[in-house]
Amino acid sequence: MEDQEILAKFADPAARNVAFNQLVRKYQSKVYWHVRKMVVDHDDADDLTQDVFIKVWNHLGNFRQDASLYTWIYRIATNECLTFLSSKRRKFFLPINDITAELSAKVEADTELAGDEVEMKLQKAILRLPDKQRLVFNLKYYEDMKYEDMAEVTGTSVGALKASYHHAVKKIEQYVNEQS
Amino acid sequence: MKTPFRLDDHPRRAHPFSAPPADYFDRLPTRVMARVQPGATRATGLGWLLALPAPLRTALASTLVLGSFAASFFLARPAAVSTPATADATLAAIPQTEVVQYLLTSDQHVSLNDLTVLAATDQDLTASFLPASSPELEEALESQPIEDTYL
Repeated sequence: MEDQEILAKFADPAARNVAFNQLVRKYQSKVYWHVRKMVVDHDDADDLTQDVFIKVWNHLGNFRQDASLYTWIYRIATNECLTFLSSKRRKFFLPINDITAELSAKVEADTELAGDEVEMKLQKAILRLPDKQRLVFNLKYYEDMKYEDMAEVTGTSVGALKASYHHAVKKIEQYVNEQS
Repeated sequence: MKTPFRLDDHPRRAHPFSAPPADYFDRLPTRVMARVQPGATRATGLGWLLALPAPLRTALASTLVLGSFAASFFLARPAAVSTPATADATLAAIPQTEVVQYLLTSDQHVSLNDLTVLAATDQDLTASFLPASSPELEEALESQPIEDTYL
């Protein structure tokens, strides 16, 4: 179902639930993996993914279609992730390195990466990036999102996003080479 | 010599971490729909609380804790603090005749002078604690020896 059709149905109270169910089915995997790459842990990703869709439900009626539904949902998911990570730091008074260590420990425990040393180093290198730069890296590297769409998601200029991604790649390559 | 790591040469995984449970994406829409239905949060009775922003929830919780502490503090204050008012009320409830009888019969060394002063401050006191009529008083005075009177 196209986004426009979902939005039209959502505007009709009788079809609202059906439309929203279609929306969740269409975007749940993208949202989940976008969040999961930021918070690593499945349970945290599950909670945040549900929270994202509840916010979408609450605010979809006010969605003005200035941006695409796709980038609008990604923007909500991104904000949820950044808020989650910053509140985790505030809650436990953890400096940035401790959060990185906590996420790295979860990466090490992930069975998918067991036995793949280079992939493990790559994931640890990604975790060492600042949250916003990590977000930019994930959107470009894993999802191959256009810079124009990334600009709508992050509220950052295309030029700044290109520079941020370029620096992120350099930092990651440097870290992996140092660890080898 | 080891080849330096280059990101472009590394095989890209679509999903770098282990997959969620097998039926996760089958159940997720139902779980989300259950949370957005109007009755879902109302049934718990605390849905309104969950709908509040996190800072407001924290402030509300802090207020409740402080309120509980203040209430506990006031309720746990020693009863002695309110004793004076209670003692005055209890003393005021005792009839004056009983007080005077107690003072006269017990070994409190209350002198007639004390009673005279007391009568001067309260004119109706003698009438209440002396259970004697005027003729009885006159008869008692008549029978007093003349040398004991102050004329």
